[in-house]
Amino acid sequence: MLSTKFSKMTKEEIDRKWWEIGDFFRRNSLWMLMYCTGCCAIELPPAMTSAYDMERLGMGPMATPRQADVLLVTGYLSLKTLRRLIYTYEQMSEPKYVVGFGSCTINGGVYHDSHAVINQLNQYIPVDVYVAGCMPNTEAVMNGFVDLMDLIKSKKANGWKDYHERYDWYLANQKAALGEVRVHDEFHE
Amino acid sequence: MTNSMNNVNYVTNLVENSFEILKTEVVNKNQVSFIVEKATVHGLLTFLKTAGWIQLSYLSAVDWIEENQLELVYIVFNWEKPVYIQVRTRLDREHPEMASILPIYPGCQYYERETHEFFGIKFPGNPNHEKQLILEEWDDMPPLLKDFDPRAYSDRKFAKREYSNDFVNLNGQESKQKKREERRAYIKEVRKGGKK
Repeated sequence: MLSTKFSKMTKEEIDRKWWEIGDFFRRNSLWMLMYCTGCCAIELPPAMTSAYDMERLGMGPMATPRQADVLLVTGYLSLKTLRRLIYTYEQMSEPKYVVGFGSCTINGGVYHDSHAVINQLNQYIPVDVYVAGCMPNTEAVMNGFVDLMDLIKSKKANGWKDYHERYDWYLANQKAALGEVRVHDEFHE
Repeated sequence: MTNSMNNVNYVTNLVENSFEILKTEVVNKNQVSFIVEKATVHGLLTFLKTAGWIQLSYLSAVDWIEENQLELVYIVFNWEKPVYIQVRTRLDREHPEMASILPIYPGCQYYERETHEFFGIKFPGNPNHEKQLILEEWDDMPPLLKDFDPRAYSDRKFAKREYSNDFVNLNGQESKQKKREERRAYIKEVRKGGKK
């Protein structure tokens, strides 16, 4: 048995090291799930294609929630959409991050007094990065992604842990706005 | 027919000869509106469907709160003659009810559900008209009626973000002129490669 530097580490330290290694790879290959609910989604095509070329940050689109790392919520969320968004968020495998686009996810934006649209996204699911603007510039969107990578590097992108810890609080908010989170429609019965 | 105005005249003559129309309005060369009694609607729509207006394009309502009435609007379309026909009728606002047109236009299924949800109009004859469609688990009065207050509902239901300051005061800041000049001097110096 070699007595290396690693064998003297406690289990916690080794776990932390592995997480750091994992975070390094995760932040350099973020698969994003685009939940294009509102008009901010129009900023994604220039960000993804050759104009700003998201691929150089290692980001790419992913088709299913279970394989994605980042959930992009681009714009306003009606109550009907919020239900499906919570379903989607809970299906994603951990660690998972959420980026909220535009003023609608921050404080309701131009829909602040609408009966159909929620005002603050982080009441219902944890949000790691907000990109402000109505709509945000594509530069701002790219900057938001870089910010997210920095947060993952400095271990501050802990929204998904917060969702575990304060699940009761999130659930209470979801129930206050939605009545019931379960979807009852033709396709779920 | 080459002249499209002829289409409108053709429709107006066709309908006015066979039905009692309260008011005819030509919206433009592609659209005519007929205001009829509630009892005439089904007969008129059946007649129009036989005459070629086979597609129900839209069905919705208008809230005339001062007259205490709700107006139903059916819009039908013909693929041979480019004329939209609106059939409008007024309902009582307190207990709005209208027999479903499901046997005439089966496509009205979802429109009737939507109209029931947003205006509270009942459509007996459509077995699904009370099923929720867009507003799930709705707990208030129908939201597109004029006496519904969306802001009060939003304030009651959704948490608002609180800000400590309403505004940022940009007056009375220090002048940045000196910093700018320093930066310019630095840039000049760098351009020379650091040589004085």
